[in-house]
Amino acid sequence: MTEDIDFEIDAEDLPQRAGERTLGSPSVIVDDLHITYRVFGGRRGGTTQTKTSLLNRAINLGRPDSGPITEVPAVRGVSFVAHHGETIGIVGTNGSGKSTLLRAVAGLLPPTKGRVFVSAEPALLGVNAALLPRLSGERNIMVGGLALGLNAKEVRERTQDVASFAELGDFLYLPMNAYSSGMASRLRFAISTITTPKILMIDEALATGDASFRKKSTARIEQIRDQAGTVFFVSHSLGSVRAMCTRVLWIDKGVLVADGDVDEVCDAYHEFVQGRKDASSGAKLR
Amino acid sequence: MNQQHGRAVTQRLTSHEAAELAAAHGLHEMGVRPPLGRYVKSVWGRRSFIWNLSASRAYARNQGSYLGQAWTVLKPVLDAATFVIIFGFIFHTSAPGIDNRAAFIVIGTFTYALFQSSVMGGIGSVPANLQLIRSHQFPRAVVPLSTALTETMLFGPVMVAMLAVAMLTGFLPGMAPVVPDWSWLLLPFAALLLAIFSSGLGLVFARLGARTPDIANVLPFLLSLGRYGSGVMFSIAGMVGTDSWFRPLLLHQPVAVFLELFRSVIGNEPLIPMTPNLWLEATAWAVGVFAVGFLFFWGAEETYGRD
Ligand SMILES: Nc1ncnc2c1ncn2[C@@H]1O[C@H](COP(=O)(O)OP(=O)(O)OP(=O)(O)O)[C@@H](O)[C@H]1O
Ligand SMILES: [Mg+2]
Repeated sequence: MTEDIDFEIDAEDLPQRAGERTLGSPSVIVDDLHITYRVFGGRRGGTTQTKTSLLNRAINLGRPDSGPITEVPAVRGVSFVAHHGETIGIVGTNGSGKSTLLRAVAGLLPPTKGRVFVSAEPALLGVNAALLPRLSGERNIMVGGLALGLNAKEVRERTQDVASFAELGDFLYLPMNAYSSGMASRLRFAISTITTPKILMIDEALATGDASFRKKSTARIEQIRDQAGTVFFVSHSLGSVRAMCTRVLWIDKGVLVADGDVDEVCDAYHEFVQGRKDASSGAKLR
Repeated sequence: MNQQHGRAVTQRLTSHEAAELAAAHGLHEMGVRPPLGRYVKSVWGRRSFIWNLSASRAYARNQGSYLGQAWTVLKPVLDAATFVIIFGFIFHTSAPGIDNRAAFIVIGTFTYALFQSSVMGGIGSVPANLQLIRSHQFPRAVVPLSTALTETMLFGPVMVAMLAVAMLTGFLPGMAPVVPDWSWLLLPFAALLLAIFSSGLGLVFARLGARTPDIANVLPFLLSLGRYGSGVMFSIAGMVGTDSWFRPLLLHQPVAVFLELFRSVIGNEPLIPMTPNLWLEATAWAVGVFAVGFLFFWGAEETYGRD
């Protein structure tokens, strides 16, 4: 009933549903997480209310063009427990705080308040694909593999597998800034799954892949889950989320509004998006 | 929807329960700095990563310009030529008692160039590798250390060029000849100490440059202050009065010590003899600065990659 045109994906291409599995022990615990960005230099006279202490004004003396500091509460009190063997979809409108949440779980943003616990170092796959854009795909595989904690010999042994998974042919030997965004995301996905990651976070990184690669990556994600990994999957394509995930978090303006069954949450979210009159986005500014 | 697919809706835990659950399953907190011992061990465990990253960077740098790596050698040659003209011939009293002012300046310039490239590499190392840092968890010291290693690998060709140019200065009018000596074999050891010292400073600047890009604007001034304050093209011992209070300060600050060490290794100036003390002092500076730099960089470990 909810399946109207999904511009991003052919739903028939994907398996109907992620298989059911028994849940393992917790792998990620997020406890009352708050992330507030502090933005310097909003324009003076903007409509948002801003703090202007004497100190801020003093700081801004050297930058006449910019106003004082604006606080953007991107994540406001999110709590959940993720388990081994789960694929968790995260949905929400633009600017609702999905990427921010993932970056905090990956340890790249300090919690303003609250804590994050993980069982292993998470690998984050974002939209910016190249690790070292001026280097060839082959060298990126080496560097990525070493960053994941393998040694050089292990990476060399697996380079062929990674290359054949990404199906880049001779482009593997060209610098990554000569790749299309889909090609780059193929390679990045292949690199991040060189070893079976314990926690893999995909932030719209597969959105640029074509149908055949999506099929492959979906199968790979399923495999990771089989081996008790936890996958976080951010996507605006509800079709992919339904196909891949075993649980969905819906975040709106930084608040977790729903957490649970894929269909229930996706349906509710779908209804919400369809019913929306305006397409305003972003966090709730104070 | 009559089926329940892998449903895992947990009730909201209190903070206390969350912490207990984490402890019970051996989860560790994210975004906190690892203890020093574990950190050192994990950096050591990633040494092949350091090596590989630095080789990749050296390779990438080659691609940017036609002469590629040759510039690493050409730049100090040009620098040295400028200073030789100005300080070797115009202000020729700037190094009293020195038999070959040109060689004196050449060695100073080249040694300072090695030091300078490591510091400048350090300052941009975190921003330049942001994408890597944001995608994977690994001890961040890998990044500035690999940058320093890239510079160190270029020490070889730079020093060969230095020896060649120094020998050539012997043919200039009024300059004493520079002849090869057994002490030149010690050059790699002096270079190793300098590399350790500069990596330490590179780590310091990597932390500063990671959060405060403004520091990059200040760096040229610091570096030229260092150049003049260390006697790259004039002799501190000869120019600063023996009774002035900052003379010992200038003579024993690390960069001056390293310049002195390199000049003593070349061994063409009777005024600059090689002494065990000089080696000890250089070793102490190298080890000390490296340790401090490493600690300083580790102090902000959890913040790299954030904005
Ligand atoms: N670096 C930043 N500095 C300041 N504010 C930021 C920054 N990054 C994101 N924000 C703000 O935080 C809020 C959440 O952004 P986030 O990127 O997490 O959204 P998202 O859910 O990933 O959106 P999208 O679906 O468009 O990717 C937004 O209001 C955004 O303006
Ligand atoms: Mg996003």
